[in-house]
Amino acid sequence: MEPRQGEPQYNFVIVQFFAIMATVYLVVGALVGVYIAAELAWPALNFDIPYLTFGRLRPLHTNAVIFAFGGCTLFATSYYIVQRTCYTRLWSDKLAWITFWGWNAVIVSAVVTLPLGITSGKEYAELEWPLDILIAVVWLSYMFNFVMTVASRKVSHIYVANWFFMAMQVMITYLHVVNSLAIPVGLFKSYSIFAGPQDAMVQWWYGHNAVGFFLTAGFLGIMYYFVPKQAGRPIFSYRLSVIHFWTLIFGYVWIGGHHLQYTALPDWSGSLGAAISLAMIIPSWGGAVNGMLTLSGAWDKLRTDYTLRFLIVSLAFYAMSTFEGPLMSIRTVNALSHYTDWTVGHVHSGALGWVAMVSMGAIYHLVPRLWNTELYSTKLVNTHFWMTTISIVFYISAMWVSGIMQGLMWRAYDEQGTLMYSFAESVAAMHPYYALRWFGGTLFLLGTIVMLFNVLMTVTRARTAPALAHASA
Amino acid sequence: MAEKKDPYEAKDTGHEWDGIRELKNDPPGWWMTGGYISIIFLIVYFVLYPSIPLVHGYTKGLLGWTQVDEYKSSLAEIMSVRAPFEEKIAKKSAKEILADPQLSQFALASAKAVFGDKCAPCHGSGGQGGPGFPTLADDEWVYGGTIEGITESITGGRQGMMPAYKATLSEQEVNDLVAFISGLNTGKAHDPGKAVFLGQTAGQADCVTCHGEDAKGNPDVGGVNLTDKIWRFEGTQEGIKRTILHGVNQEDDKETRKALMPTFGGKLSEGQIKQLAVKVFMFGGGKKG
Repeated sequence: MEPRQGEPQYNFVIVQFFAIMATVYLVVGALVGVYIAAELAWPALNFDIPYLTFGRLRPLHTNAVIFAFGGCTLFATSYYIVQRTCYTRLWSDKLAWITFWGWNAVIVSAVVTLPLGITSGKEYAELEWPLDILIAVVWLSYMFNFVMTVASRKVSHIYVANWFFMAMQVMITYLHVVNSLAIPVGLFKSYSIFAGPQDAMVQWWYGHNAVGFFLTAGFLGIMYYFVPKQAGRPIFSYRLSVIHFWTLIFGYVWIGGHHLQYTALPDWSGSLGAAISLAMIIPSWGGAVNGMLTLSGAWDKLRTDYTLRFLIVSLAFYAMSTFEGPLMSIRTVNALSHYTDWTVGHVHSGALGWVAMVSMGAIYHLVPRLWNTELYSTKLVNTHFWMTTISIVFYISAMWVSGIMQGLMWRAYDEQGTLMYSFAESVAAMHPYYALRWFGGTLFLLGTIVMLFNVLMTVTRARTAPALAHASA
Repeated sequence: MAEKKDPYEAKDTGHEWDGIRELKNDPPGWWMTGGYISIIFLIVYFVLYPSIPLVHGYTKGLLGWTQVDEYKSSLAEIMSVRAPFEEKIAKKSAKEILADPQLSQFALASAKAVFGDKCAPCHGSGGQGGPGFPTLADDEWVYGGTIEGITESITGGRQGMMPAYKATLSEQEVNDLVAFISGLNTGKAHDPGKAVFLGQTAGQADCVTCHGEDAKGNPDVGGVNLTDKIWRFEGTQEGIKRTILHGVNQEDDKETRKALMPTFGGKLSEGQIKQLAVKVFMFGGGKKG
């Protein structure tokens, strides 16, 4: 495309590739999620085919949404933001293509290996060691390219979005490498070098920080660019961004232990995890508050700007799940919520409400600018917005009721001190909520298909009728 | 908007990135206050609870709280409620529990969840059984329906055994035998089949050792009654034929019938096993022995 006046020649082609793949993987990840949700409600749907069982498709779902969709969104947005806020082209186009093809190679390998049952058994880190190495190489190439681009910026200061991206890059490298340390016993099998409780602790230090740095810090980076850009307002408070950045970065790394309350882990790890989790509510809300206050004086824009709706509602979900999470980390609450669907509901209020919605907003902002055109249909953006919002409400309310019911049924005693319910009875009681969750998920999936359609139509139209093209950044 | 304090009157930092400026507003007061409260909370919590790892061990906290103590005290709480019943159950045999209405009521309630978790997957939540798994709610018992017999089945588990006759009986003998056994339940006599059953033909079938000459079974060896229309496996002609040809729990025979109940002695407490036995007995088919 033609560079706009006064703008350096940015590499937007890489951003285009990642933005399209993010949209595609969102549909794929949601599709797998909907399928396994249906399996939980109607177990016959696994058809006794091992490759289709919940145990094998569930990691495919989580990897697809977190790393395929989330990863591609992060690459698209961060490569876009770093260029535009540093006023310079990406340091290396070649490294950028390595990021693209390498990351997609990882995703394709995951699609093959996970249903085959090839797994290291670590949640959110299931891929076996050869793929772990590939991930590390691709990630480092991405980080190096990003940091070098920042280093060659044409402005004196580094924009806050880039702080968050770089924090993510550093910490994800650290987390991925340490948690994946393993001794290979074959091409497709390895054993963690940690054992027992230490392995569990390393796993959840990784697991929670995948949430903290990949799905939070990275997506806060997205928020810090797209919210002020879409709203046309300056960031509310520089000081707030500094304080919540450093408290968030410092706090997150300690709280993994809250995933393992009442286990063989030493007492201090769970208390430390819970206490710092509670103290993290304020730092987490810092991002949501700064984003929302950035909009003050421009709230009327929500009436007409559907892209902005995605961004702002995502911040509301972000604030809600970062309150709910610390609550669930307290031992007393955890004793009820742990191992139940409440956890699943919490994860999805963060994943669907925060991560997916902020990404959708970012992609709707990006696509017309990348292809120098207008969106095929803003009405469809609004349709998608309502489908997504309603679907999430269905999903998380179903899981709240189901999870709390599970927790209460498991612990229910009668006056003689005997357990009132067998496990199977609690499973049977879940059925209506599983059906409801499947319905919510299906609505979300349909929304992502609407989005993919809208994005593809926009791109097609831009390519066939370039004369129409016009856009303001 | 004009009357309200407009945040955009605030000065910016003087930097701009792609058109984005940052204002020099202070963070909201409630947010900063929340932050200070969080810090105070952390300090207080760290003093009270085990929180800080040291080179050897960790700080224990002033309250002396530990996970294990919490577990023990909540367990003790529930056990104190159960104690009056549990003590009586420990002292009495399953038969005596059965005779005591209050205790047997407790046993029924207490065994509900255990039965649901351990037994129901095969025998059904109401003891109704399932394909290949015996019904517990009728009065036909493979190993005897006395309270002692039921206790023994739960404690030691059961492993069925019946030889496969595919190699020793001719096809004619097998077909006759199927007709005879089927006839026992429909009132149709079949003399050639009876001869096979009694081991009087060339194949020398050995049915009577376990099933008895009257085919009414022998609970001591797990030989089932073949005359009462209740079938351990399938009662169709094909089903009976398969059992005869391939036997029960025969290694190296893929078509063999599986009959295996795990042992629960050592996995469940003696009290739990007694309570389960009472529950199974009280499904309605227990036999006063």
